[in-house]
Amino acid sequence: MTRGNRILLSCIYWAFVLYVFVPLILMVTMGFKDSKFIGFPIKSWTLDWYSGVFANAEVLSAFTYSLVIAVLSTLISVIVGTWIAVLLEGRKFWGRALIFGITVLPALVPGIISAIAFRIYARYLGIEPGMGAIIWSHAVHNVPFVVLVLMARLSTLPKSQTEAARDLGADPIIAFLRITLPYLAPAIMGASIFCLLLSFDDFVRSFFLGGYEPTLPVLIFAKLKSGMSPEINAIATVALVITAVLGIWAERFTRRLNKENG
Amino acid sequence: MTFEASVRTEHGGTAPKTADRTFWGRLANWAPYRVLAGLATASPRRQFVILAALPLVWVLTQHLGPMLQMLRVSLTDAYPVAPNVQQSFTFEHYMKFFQDSLFWMPFFRTLTFAGVFTFCTLILTYPVAYFLARHVSQKNRMLMLLMLLIPFWVGEIVRTYAIMILLGNTGAVNLLLKWLGFIDRPIPFMYTSFSMGVGIVYLTALYMMLPLYSALEKLPKSFNEAAADLGAGAWTRFRRVTLPLTIEGIASGCTLVFLISTGFYATPVLLGGPSTTVFAETIAGFFHVAGDQWPTGAAFATIMFLGALLITVTFQKIMNSLRKGDVR
Repeated sequence: MTRGNRILLSCIYWAFVLYVFVPLILMVTMGFKDSKFIGFPIKSWTLDWYSGVFANAEVLSAFTYSLVIAVLSTLISVIVGTWIAVLLEGRKFWGRALIFGITVLPALVPGIISAIAFRIYARYLGIEPGMGAIIWSHAVHNVPFVVLVLMARLSTLPKSQTEAARDLGADPIIAFLRITLPYLAPAIMGASIFCLLLSFDDFVRSFFLGGYEPTLPVLIFAKLKSGMSPEINAIATVALVITAVLGIWAERFTRRLNKENG
Repeated sequence: MTFEASVRTEHGGTAPKTADRTFWGRLANWAPYRVLAGLATASPRRQFVILAALPLVWVLTQHLGPMLQMLRVSLTDAYPVAPNVQQSFTFEHYMKFFQDSLFWMPFFRTLTFAGVFTFCTLILTYPVAYFLARHVSQKNRMLMLLMLLIPFWVGEIVRTYAIMILLGNTGAVNLLLKWLGFIDRPIPFMYTSFSMGVGIVYLTALYMMLPLYSALEKLPKSFNEAAADLGAGAWTRFRRVTLPLTIEGIASGCTLVFLISTGFYATPVLLGGPSTTVFAETIAGFFHVAGDQWPTGAAFATIMFLGALLITVTFQKIMNSLRKGDVR
């Protein structure tokens, strides 16, 4: 009975693995098809689509654009998120639960509604659609994730360490810079990679707050709307490789943190 | 780790170091810093105010602000306001929603789809999470879990495109079915609620699996063994021990997946057809044209947010009462 169960469950697991990997593998493979039409079977193969991506000015500029947006929005998210986490963790004050609720709100609002709300607010603030608006919306959207990661890390910092620093004559600012911040460093790094990823992958906010220049996902979407082609497969594969590498890197960080935290 | 390292280098050095020689010592004695730090840390109250000021301003203006502004715009008769025109308060944009089936049909369709897809995700990922938490050795478990995470780092658009290639008329599934001799002509999977479901489940599965996995992992094996000793069969053990004790994981996974599913825009546009228009597309339509339709769009977005919120809160309440021991 148990053995039968076990075999059945392991079949389900491997079927699930196939479900999550096969579509991506097929997409990468299709980029090698020597034809303009998407579809199986693939009779002849070519590297042209992939080599074409690196010569395509449109793709390269979208890629740089996405990257700059990701880096700048991450910087803002991490600074603000760290600040909020330090305020909220281990401190009791009136309205703390409410502030925490508002802090995680952007992460819970469904994508389209968040994009629309940002679009309206950007106009209210006088931010024109374009790079600034996208950076701002990504930064706000990613803050909750930074706060959650850093609060988890902060909760494992023994109070005695900062107290010892204070006893030895450090003022609160120096105690923060020399004790708390170094302790948080790996978590900040993990959260940063996670933010880079969220920003680089984001479609809906970039789409509604963008100007004429597309980010990489918006470019792929625009091309898809005018028809499928192996060229898109090659572009999408580039995006896939970047995000997968970033993701594996982020995982390594969180795994190391988990080990340290016990 | 870094802290210990820095302590070590400081005390391990050959030259005797006084507070003045280190960077931090110099900073602490630097006059401008002392004045500023003295001002900032004069009293615990002032320290707290300085620490809390930026977060408070940020969350109120940046996190809450967009939602409140959306609500405000949805209640005004025209936006942006033309010069010399008095802006007035109105509910007309909310009324519009009920007047046309073109508007409320996609709304209910979205909620129904999101509910069905959430349920499918639960059914699909529960055995996977159960297998990982119960039948895999501690050593392999992390590796097998992390392997599943890799595809989930990839963005929405790229993964949606991958599903388009999988399900197209000349896609892999049709090719396989033809090759096996089940069909002569390709099945038109694409641009239906089926393709949309496959895509959305594909995009959200992880958000369901992780809460389930952590709930199942926390559950001690001894509970099941005790139930078995008392004569409970496998099904009874699952229904009366495992399921009730993982209900928290189920509730948080379902809430998360439901909220995410209602918010998809690109996936329904690319994978759905004319008969599966979701509310996100309806809302987006008001923002493609400049300006004057924004209040209607804002009203619809507010309706959708409140609708999704109402459903998740009700769902959480039901799950909570189930958890408190109404399981038979």
